[in-house]
Amino acid sequence: MTQKEIENLRNTIKTASLKVISENIARMKKTSPNRPEIMQYFDEMANLFGQREKEIKELQDQGKKVIGYLCMFAPVELILAADAIPVRVGSGWYDPAKQGDKIVPVEVCPIVRSTIGTKMIGLSPFLEMSDVIINPPTCDGMTKLGEILSDQKSIWTLSAPRIKDDPQSLIFWKEEIKAMKKKIEGLTGVKITAKRLRAAIELRQKASLAFRRLQDVRKISPVIMGRDAMLVSQTITWDDTQRWTEKTMMLCDELERRVKQEEWACSPSNPRVMITGTPMFWPDNWKIPHLVEEAKPQGLIAADELCSGDRILYDPVGVDEWTGSDMLSAVAEKYLMASTCPCFTSADGNEDRINWLLDRIKEFKIDGVIYYTVRGCMLYAMEYARVKRILDKMNVPIYYLDTEYTREDVGQIKTRIEAFMEMLDTRVQLSRGTQP
Amino acid sequence: MLAGLLIITIWIRDETRKISYLRTFVQVASLIGIFYLFSLTLWLSVVLIVIFAATIFLGRFFCGWICPFGLYMDFISQVRKTLRIGYWALPEWLNKNLHRLRYIIFVVILLPPILLFFLDPLYQQKWASALFLIGSFTPLTILLGPLEPLIVPWGETLGFSGLSLSYPYVRQVIVYSSGIFVSINVFLLIALTVASSFLVRRFWCRFCPTGISIGIVNHLPHFKWAPIMHLNKVEEKCTKCGICKRVCPLQVTEVYDQKGGDIATSMCMLCLRCAEMCPYEGCLKANFNGKTFFKSRNWLKK
Repeated sequence: MTQKEIENLRNTIKTASLKVISENIARMKKTSPNRPEIMQYFDEMANLFGQREKEIKELQDQGKKVIGYLCMFAPVELILAADAIPVRVGSGWYDPAKQGDKIVPVEVCPIVRSTIGTKMIGLSPFLEMSDVIINPPTCDGMTKLGEILSDQKSIWTLSAPRIKDDPQSLIFWKEEIKAMKKKIEGLTGVKITAKRLRAAIELRQKASLAFRRLQDVRKISPVIMGRDAMLVSQTITWDDTQRWTEKTMMLCDELERRVKQEEWACSPSNPRVMITGTPMFWPDNWKIPHLVEEAKPQGLIAADELCSGDRILYDPVGVDEWTGSDMLSAVAEKYLMASTCPCFTSADGNEDRINWLLDRIKEFKIDGVIYYTVRGCMLYAMEYARVKRILDKMNVPIYYLDTEYTREDVGQIKTRIEAFMEMLDTRVQLSRGTQP
Repeated sequence: MLAGLLIITIWIRDETRKISYLRTFVQVASLIGIFYLFSLTLWLSVVLIVIFAATIFLGRFFCGWICPFGLYMDFISQVRKTLRIGYWALPEWLNKNLHRLRYIIFVVILLPPILLFFLDPLYQQKWASALFLIGSFTPLTILLGPLEPLIVPWGETLGFSGLSLSYPYVRQVIVYSSGIFVSINVFLLIALTVASSFLVRRFWCRFCPTGISIGIVNHLPHFKWAPIMHLNKVEEKCTKCGICKRVCPLQVTEVYDQKGGDIATSMCMLCLRCAEMCPYEGCLKANFNGKTFFKSRNWLKK
């Protein structure tokens, strides 16, 4: 493609994306008329081409480095400790996937194809501004994505072992983290001292606290719609950590007040749905959350097991002694051992994800689970059988939904989701003795 | 005492250290208690039996909360932490094999006095000597070594105004040495135990014979009811993050490995560091007779 063609494509898709972003927000506002005012901040941050892009550009002009990452294994604490800006660059845009099709087959994960396409047309401000991208080759797609992107961007691979709880795996992973620390120090010119690392860890711990408060509020009552909470959770992957924490704390204050006044965002008799599966990136891949919360009968997304949502900040870094070596061990272990990603298997049965789902179902009183995958993801698709078996035993309805980075199947998915929601609603009303 | 407890619960803001400070407080209080215990004439054998029997029911609670030697080792660890020096974690296979050493130590200490007791026809009032651990039973006092407070209430070498300096196992080592070797052996003992627990947390505890009674009980299926103080894990809440395994001063892996329920281990000294540091509410609990007296909580709420 010529430069001109690329620019045209970029501008077209960017304009379309801005429309999608404001449409998404309008739809979320429509579902929840008494949406908290503080959500205004997150709506502004949701504009990926807006304020945050400007801020990062300014910081970069002042000499700060921008370190992008493609997956949640990147040690964000180390990036923050080196005074660099961490930003997640996995693509949530549907249209660039068609550009990616020119380079890799259509069977490849849509997120990978879309990221390639996004790079081709220079769509993502964060991807373009990244001085380097950390790529953990957690699946086949990610492994080769790193190679393809390396033609145009500096890529650092961060290998994660496939078995997460072997003693050997931990040794390997810790060495990878140490090597990554040196690379970050080399790029930024900042030595990650124990003091800096402690500050970064404590900053992220505060963010985890804000996040946990949000979860605790969602546990007990329908005081915030799932899409709003998902947007809040995902915003931290590009926002400034400290400001995000402050705003989220303010949101939690407001939500806790609403719990006392019993000001619900939707009816408490709505079926409570949990989405589990491959990540759902803003803005285009909000397809399924929209359909669930706008369905008739309406569902509430009470929790999710997505690395683009409730998994991001759930596990804190637990430091025993604030010495350099213990902090580094703590950071390394948090990313490897607490993860529920299916890219891992474990030496003793790999029940972490199942345990997490079961705990959520109990704590959040989940009525039904939507098991969502992007087409082509072997890892998530193959875990479905085990998860289904266990949820069937617990008599929790689970629905498998696989989709693509396209808008063309919205009609079809809508029908399927509405059927699932109707079934759930009937079950819920029957079990509570109320009328469906 | 109450004032101290109040101070700790109110002043210490750091959620991940409250139980640790409380435990240090109890350890110091126990040390003072033991000092006064030493000023009474006691049937030392009874003290020994009480400790071993209590361990059957309370697990190694004595080790974590009362033993003065444990307090000294914790103090040395605190010095290390202040100097910002990292600890040395023993490889798992080595740690697990060290546990076996305590059975050997126990037998080596126990057998000679008992044999002498039966084989020595000249010693009168055998039962009296057994109760007070004197005569042919003197070597058994080595089992009471850990109970030595740093200052004992009677005059000896290194004494001052009716008190003397002391250290665990030193007086027993003196019994077995003579001449210049008294000083050498005492110095070596102190150096080795202090030096080793500087880098390896609670080094002596990993092969101290105190845990034997619960070690044996854990292997006897008919006595499963006996230990009434346990750690308990709720499997669903566990994310296998490994924090409990990493922060444990004794490198106990059973809390991490076992799949829920009461944790059976003969190494855990119930210091509750794992439960204190577990970030998932209600995952790890400390139970006494089925009732939870401490459980893991969201310590992010500092």
